[in-house]
Amino acid sequence: MKPSKKEQDSKIKARSKKADDKQKTILEMLQSHGAKIYDDLDNGQFPKFSIPSRSVSNIVYDKKLRQYILGNNAALRSSRNSSQLRSFTQLIWLAFFANRLTNERKSSTLRDIYYSSQAFAVEFEDQSESDNIIVDLEAVTSRAREDFHIFPEERSSIFGDLNIEYTIPGYEGKTMNLANHPDGYSIGPSLTTAELVDTSAEIVIAIEKGGLFTRFVEEQVDKKFKSIIINTGGQAPRSTRTLLKRLHDEMKLPVICLTDGDVYGEHIAMVIKSGSANAAHLRELTVPDAKWVGVWATDIEKYKLPTIPMTEADIKRCYDLQKDPRYQDGIWKKELDVFLRIKRKAELEAFSKYGLTNITDKYLPQKLELAKSL
Amino acid sequence: MASIEEKFNQISPSEFFYSNRDLAGFSNPTRSLYTAVREFVENALDACDQKGILPDVYLTIKAVDPDKPDPKPYILTVKDNGPGIDAEHIPLAFGTVLYGSKFGLKQARGMFGLGATMAILYGQITTNQPVTVKSSSDGKIQNQFEILLDIQKNKPIIVKHTTKEVTKTGLSVSICLEGDYSKAGGKIRDYVYETSLITPYASLTFDDPKDEKFTHTRFVKEIPPPPTIIRPHPHGIDVERIRRMIVESQFEIPIIDDAMIEKVRKDLGLSVKKLSFTSIMEKAKSKWKNLPRQVRVVVSLMSFLKMDFEKLNKIKIEDIDVSNKKLFYWDFGDSQSKSVDMDPESMYYKQLTNTVQGEPLTTFLTKRFQRIGPSTAVKFAEFAKFKPERRMGTLTNQELVQLSDSLQKFEDFMAPDSSCLAPLGAEPLEKGIKKFFNPDFVAVVQRPASAYSGFPFIIEMGIAYGGDIKSGGPHVYRYANRIPLLYDEGSDVVLKVVNETDWGRYKVKGEPPFIIVSHICSTRIPYKTAGKENVADRQEIERELRLALQFLSRKLSSFMSKRGQSEMAKKRANLYAKYIPMIAEFCTELSGNKKQPNYKKMLETEIASEIKKVEDEENIIETI
Repeated sequence: MKPSKKEQDSKIKARSKKADDKQKTILEMLQSHGAKIYDDLDNGQFPKFSIPSRSVSNIVYDKKLRQYILGNNAALRSSRNSSQLRSFTQLIWLAFFANRLTNERKSSTLRDIYYSSQAFAVEFEDQSESDNIIVDLEAVTSRAREDFHIFPEERSSIFGDLNIEYTIPGYEGKTMNLANHPDGYSIGPSLTTAELVDTSAEIVIAIEKGGLFTRFVEEQVDKKFKSIIINTGGQAPRSTRTLLKRLHDEMKLPVICLTDGDVYGEHIAMVIKSGSANAAHLRELTVPDAKWVGVWATDIEKYKLPTIPMTEADIKRCYDLQKDPRYQDGIWKKELDVFLRIKRKAELEAFSKYGLTNITDKYLPQKLELAKSL
Repeated sequence: MASIEEKFNQISPSEFFYSNRDLAGFSNPTRSLYTAVREFVENALDACDQKGILPDVYLTIKAVDPDKPDPKPYILTVKDNGPGIDAEHIPLAFGTVLYGSKFGLKQARGMFGLGATMAILYGQITTNQPVTVKSSSDGKIQNQFEILLDIQKNKPIIVKHTTKEVTKTGLSVSICLEGDYSKAGGKIRDYVYETSLITPYASLTFDDPKDEKFTHTRFVKEIPPPPTIIRPHPHGIDVERIRRMIVESQFEIPIIDDAMIEKVRKDLGLSVKKLSFTSIMEKAKSKWKNLPRQVRVVVSLMSFLKMDFEKLNKIKIEDIDVSNKKLFYWDFGDSQSKSVDMDPESMYYKQLTNTVQGEPLTTFLTKRFQRIGPSTAVKFAEFAKFKPERRMGTLTNQELVQLSDSLQKFEDFMAPDSSCLAPLGAEPLEKGIKKFFNPDFVAVVQRPASAYSGFPFIIEMGIAYGGDIKSGGPHVYRYANRIPLLYDEGSDVVLKVVNETDWGRYKVKGEPPFIIVSHICSTRIPYKTAGKENVADRQEIERELRLALQFLSRKLSSFMSKRGQSEMAKKRANLYAKYIPMIAEFCTELSGNKKQPNYKKMLETEIASEIKKVEDEENIIETI
């Protein structure tokens, strides 16, 4: 039964109120930080604040949360300290700029931030310096940059039967079905902030590569396996991870990851599952129940895939990951050990040796079946 | 059997140096011109120093034929306002090798004036021109000589001698020599420049072949205290030197002839009348204390011979055998050798042994060496396993070597007397550095006197930073006995010590504008070569250099960190002025305020305090 107009209106209102509330919370938080600094200055004192330390020694693995988090170490950043004064000013500027963005509901990219700073005579040596200050702001506020309307450049994409409703200014109440366009929809600010209305899908397949994503759409994997297909474009960007989490939490969909058969692929799946050390200051970016279904090192032998030898860097990466607490048991440890043993790797495209649709016809169904038991 | 007859020729010192002139720095026209300049300038300065005259030295180098290409003959003239040399000494001083006035043990730039004669010799063999010497030692008459050296005979040949009236004392020496100014010019100018830094009480003028004049006027009006001549230190002595000292301390048994008898008679106050042996002895006993040594010896001999003057006239003393207490003499009357016993208890016996066997060891030590007292002398005798009263004249060759070795090894001698040294002094050195480099920082130190192998030495050192000093330092200015050392710096001990210093530790980084002036004063500088350009790395000297450098480096380091702090304070003040207003602006909008926070006063106070810090640091730097 189609919902009545009235019902729909109230729904939209409720949703937009939710977005408004979130915006209000963010603005209030930024304002309170600003007020503290204002008061310090007004009282003739050098403003200062504490910031959680993001040094390696302060990044610890939380078994309960199943992700890396920051420890209790915090550093005092003071405007009296001449070596911190510059970064202090940069951070205040960023809060000030994020405040404007949030207030005006405008979005910006990391690169935008770097160039915008110049209009205010705030100097950044290069974009990596401004990126770093953005992470500082995240750490101080415990909020992801996306909450301040700051997004990365890289875009991944999504395809499948999922109805969404926009909340961004000018599109409020507009809906969209994400199976309407065969190239997929890019996962940007409007999509990550949209309400997830409903879906017929029963699973989310996150796939590492654009080429395979296109193949999956062509082969109608969405229909055949009742799935939403997401192209992570290598290491999944934060916005994509946020969306994956929402699909899991809000739509109750299981998430599986399909990556190249190498150590980097394994880690792409791990980051979706339990986050990265770089974002240890943030929660809400992980899908702890996500499953990695392939390509496993054992698959390489099992499916007789064409392989290429691992490089020195690949092998070093294996040894590094062996020290990571998340790789101490289960499939993660087992596959890593096999990679180290065979010292060879295979890409997703390797299945093409047995025909272009081999991966969707043979491999995927077996893996989906297997995923249920993982 | 064939015998090979070898012929040994004795060669004169002139000839020796003629064939070994490379040793003394006369190896080629470039080096020779430079060395000749040095020798004459240093002689001029030494002469003035000795008489306490503020030196005015005038150096001229002119080409005989300016259009000829180098190397070519140059006329080198050095004129001073020193004491001059007496006319009678001039031919020998300038016309023979190894004739000089600097034989005492004290610090001087040159030894024996050897180098100057070498320069004259070099001039003569390259241009066949005589040296021209103009000297006035009384300030009234000037003697002018033209002298050639007879190399084989080591004798002067006076070509010309004239006199004229003058009003001032002084010496002017002029030689014609083959040189290469186009190559040596740089070094000679450096030499004059660096000499004026270490001789701030001298005025130096250099008139070069291109008619360029370099004038360095004195900027210190006082001559540093002159060194005194002293006795040697036991550590700086060898067997040969001891042998010569013993000879000085021994006396011959006088030949008893008519003249001697007459002298004894007179000194005893005896008239012509004949006196018996007994009355002579009585007379002598009463006058003993006032008798000269020779007379005492004769009287002592008479006491054992029991002879009066008449009998004495008929014998000849053959030997005094001290150990067997026997006196041997030849009796002309009997034409045979006879002997008498000597009573070792008698005072006459003592007198004779003293004369024949020289002084006892302890007296020898206390009288002929510096800073040895009677108790040290006794201690030493024990150490060297000699009886303290052992007569120096009785030592065998082997014992002499043993004595010499022990003198080197005995550690309880006092450090060598440094009154024979003439350091420049910290104050004039600092003045010189300030005048030459106008630095931001200068520190000088004069180390206490120390010694190597019995030769005393003193290290003076200065460090300067910034100002007019060029970057790329440290540049090291090396001096020894007020002579700049310009060649062969690679192997020098000063450079070694400087290069081994980790300047980063003293906050000196990159290519700093930074100089070091090092001055070694000693009665004997341990040069590595006869060219006198680099100092050997004697352990004691190296240690003192290191201590001096460390002391100064610490001062430099504290200057550098103060300077760094003051730069930091300036930087901080700038940073506050730049960023705090920005923070104020951003947080005003962020906090939703309209008006900016009242931060200006705080900022002004903070900047003022940083600026005050800078000023304080600068004051401290000035007082370092």
